Amino acid sequence: MTDESAPILRVSGLQKRFGEHEVLRGISFDVHQGDVVSIIGASGSGKSTLLRCINFLEQPTDGAILFHGRNAETEWNRAQYHAKVGMVFQSFNLFANMSVLKNCVSGQVRVLRRDRREAEEKALFYLDKVGMAPYRDARPAQLSGGQKQRVAIARALAMDPEVLLFDEPTSALDPEMVGEVLSVMRELAASGLTMLVVTHEMAFARDVSRRVIFMDEGVIAEEGAPEEIFVRPNQPRTREFLSRVLGA
Amino acid sequence: MNALPTSFFGWVGFILEKYGTLFLSGVGITLLVAITGTVIGFAIGLLVAILRTIPVAPRAPWYRRLPLRALSALLNVYIEVFRGTPMIVQAMVIYYGCMYMGLRMPVLVAAVLIVSINTGAYMAEIVRGGIISVDKGQKEAACAIGMTHWQSMVHVVLPQAVRNIMPSIGNEFVVNIKDSSVLNVISVNELFFMSKSAAGTYLRYFEVFFITACIYLALTFTITRLLRVLERKMDGNTNYIIYGSQSDSKAAIVVPKEGGVPND
Ligand SMILES: Nc1ncnc2c1ncn2[C@@H]1O[C@H](COP(=O)(O)OP(=O)(O)O)[C@@H](O)[C@H]1O
Ligand SMILES: [Mg+2]
Repeated sequence: MTDESAPILRVSGLQKRFGEHEVLRGISFDVHQGDVVSIIGASGSGKSTLLRCINFLEQPTDGAILFHGRNAETEWNRAQYHAKVGMVFQSFNLFANMSVLKNCVSGQVRVLRRDRREAEEKALFYLDKVGMAPYRDARPAQLSGGQKQRVAIARALAMDPEVLLFDEPTSALDPEMVGEVLSVMRELAASGLTMLVVTHEMAFARDVSRRVIFMDEGVIAEEGAPEEIFVRPNQPRTREFLSRVLGA
Repeated sequence: MNALPTSFFGWVGFILEKYGTLFLSGVGITLLVAITGTVIGFAIGLLVAILRTIPVAPRAPWYRRLPLRALSALLNVYIEVFRGTPMIVQAMVIYYGCMYMGLRMPVLVAAVLIVSINTGAYMAEIVRGGIISVDKGQKEAACAIGMTHWQSMVHVVLPQAVRNIMPSIGNEFVVNIKDSSVLNVISVNELFFMSKSAAGTYLRYFEVFFITACIYLALTFTITRLLRVLERKMDGNTNYIIYGSQSDSKAAIVVPKEGGVPND
């Protein structure tokens, strides 16, 4: 029995140091089933490091990640945890040696041990969802940035994740391609997927997410519903950041 | 067969006729040693590269970190030793060393062994360079969908690394065809060894080794061309199909690589 109010993901006292440099200085928050949480903050405030620690691409220096109440580092099989907590990168990171379809199939086959036919069906389902099914035979190098990112999202979805982490998914895109990726993300949010999104798209943070976390110098400076953060921020540094990014 | 030739080309023709099969069998052994040695050396290089890139978590307990450290130190020693000594010396040490310890290897086995281990040391470094050439985001993405180190290396990183280092692999191959000649010191009857015995009978060193040089050149030239073809094969088709709709594959159109990507 899972408690309705139990968080699916709990970040607790997370710290990360690179040598002397303290990048995360005690981060704690909960993510519940179906939550869409935006993480905003100045460049260098530790947002990427936070996501990378949640996904163990970086080893946290201290603190814990709890997934369904169990310690993700010690009580979860690493491959299983990775399959359930997916990640979409700023730089897409598609496998350059594989076709679009194979990109979405290989993880399912290798990690989840799915039958290849079943995996291809699932891959095509999600590629269709992001509008990339017609390009199934293309190589990543033959796609535009927006198309690559949509494939990367399909690749993550094909693993049937419970939580998807996005690290500035539109920051590397030409302006005219930002929309196509954001609209896919909007649909995902509406479909009830649990998402943790680092973003500079304030409109997305305001309109789509349920909760906004503002990070500053390795701590959560302020956290709340979008209307609180964007309309009535408590902290001076939040106000300062917002006035800077929203343009005076 | 009574009168000996008097001109250079006369001798060349004479030697070819008399020792043609000797040369051929030398070519056979040279190719056998070079091909097997390069292939096994390449496999060693891949394996060493995979082992050397196993990530070590800083918070992992000592009994997990220590074996990895030891392994990596051992591999470094292997690479340094075999890159830092001439193959001709390695051949002597290994062949006679084994004999000293009471292990009498057939020379052909010894030859393949020496070339493999020697090539492996170079390949390990070449493959390492290839791995660096693949942007590490892909490795992270593989890790982020749950692939193990082994899986991400074998299915994502190494295929691209290998494509990038094909020219260097070809180089090693060519080097092995030529440098297997040093194995004559342990009496492997490869091309150089055979040439020496052919030259000895009539003391026609220039003519014989002129032929030998031509054969080596023909071998290396052929190999380089074949590898080029293989490289082009690896690059695969530069066209892809856009499926007009999922149910109607006849609506597919072929898009050339440079043609730009139409919007759907
Ligand atoms: N691998 C690393 N080694 C050393 N410092 C790092 C590393 N990764 C990130 N940092 C540092 O951590 C800080 C936060 O980086 P990051 O998490 O990327 O910030 P953000 O994503 O919010 O822009 C930066 O000062 C950056 O230089
Ligand atoms: Mg970042």
